[in-house]
Amino acid sequence: MLRVHDAYAGIKRGLAAARPDIICIIGGDHIEGFFLTSVPALAVYVGSTVSGKFDRYRYTFDVHEPLARALLEQSIERGFDLTYSQDLALDYAFYVPLHFAMPEPRVPIVPLYVNVYLPPQPTPARCYAWGETLRAILDARPERVALLASGGLSHFPGSDRYNSPDFDWDRQMLDRLIAGRGRETAALTGEELDKAGNVEFRTWITLLGAVGDAKARVVCYEPSWHHGNAVVTWPIA
Amino acid sequence: MSLHYTFPPAAGYPLNRCLYRIKSDDAFRERYLADPDTTLKEAGLDPERIAALRTLDRDRLLALGAHAYLVFMAGLRLKMATAPQTFERF
Repeated sequence: MLRVHDAYAGIKRGLAAARPDIICIIGGDHIEGFFLTSVPALAVYVGSTVSGKFDRYRYTFDVHEPLARALLEQSIERGFDLTYSQDLALDYAFYVPLHFAMPEPRVPIVPLYVNVYLPPQPTPARCYAWGETLRAILDARPERVALLASGGLSHFPGSDRYNSPDFDWDRQMLDRLIAGRGRETAALTGEELDKAGNVEFRTWITLLGAVGDAKARVVCYEPSWHHGNAVVTWPIA
Repeated sequence: MSLHYTFPPAAGYPLNRCLYRIKSDDAFRERYLADPDTTLKEAGLDPERIAALRTLDRDRLLALGAHAYLVFMAGLRLKMATAPQTFERF
């Protein structure tokens, strides 16, 4: 776990050096912000601030409303009928990586949601296509934007496989990403992801749509008794 | 092969709502810990579902339509509330 913390520290330094104006973070809600009252496939938070809590941990982030709104409006114009919210509890999939990686001084965020835990989830192909669209929208923006994805890798919370993640699946996938073959993830099926304990990999697939054929740099991959933990960057020009 | 995470049937909604509130609603969790039977009965659960939830009988809860992740995290939050020293912080 300390090696994962070190990897996060490297991400934090890299983000500070890249001087982003905004961090867009793609995450999978763990039935925290969205309960069964409404289950969006893809969503964006368009408020001024967003907060989340777990036990003694409390987080609040400024949200970059102009970019959040642009991503909402332009995604819809390009055929992605997003849900939006101005009042959601932020899930730990968002604030845990930001706890470790948010540079100083802090920058505003835009939370982007992919449904991972409540079937039927969006297909990998759809996630990848939304990622391509996000990239096209972001490329036309004046701000410097960092794009993060949070989720996975293999784990099975609540199932009888909790203590046996599919580390082989993770390693084979990371090898593909190192080779710049992220595009292939669009052809995965929802059943394959569930079987591998990787329903949350949809957030990665969305990001892969945005980075295209860029080759991944795997900063670390650390299996634990219940979870495959990876920290990965994609240097893009 | 059956999936690990499946569509939550509508009949399981009151049960899933209780699990969700134990997970994410501190006041509800405290009320549940103080008086589980009354709290769950007032939340609309019948004796069968109350018994399954009180024992955190996962197989039974899943058969009643509970979502696997909600069962997991509700159980974890109850353990954190009753035995906090067993958990690591970062």
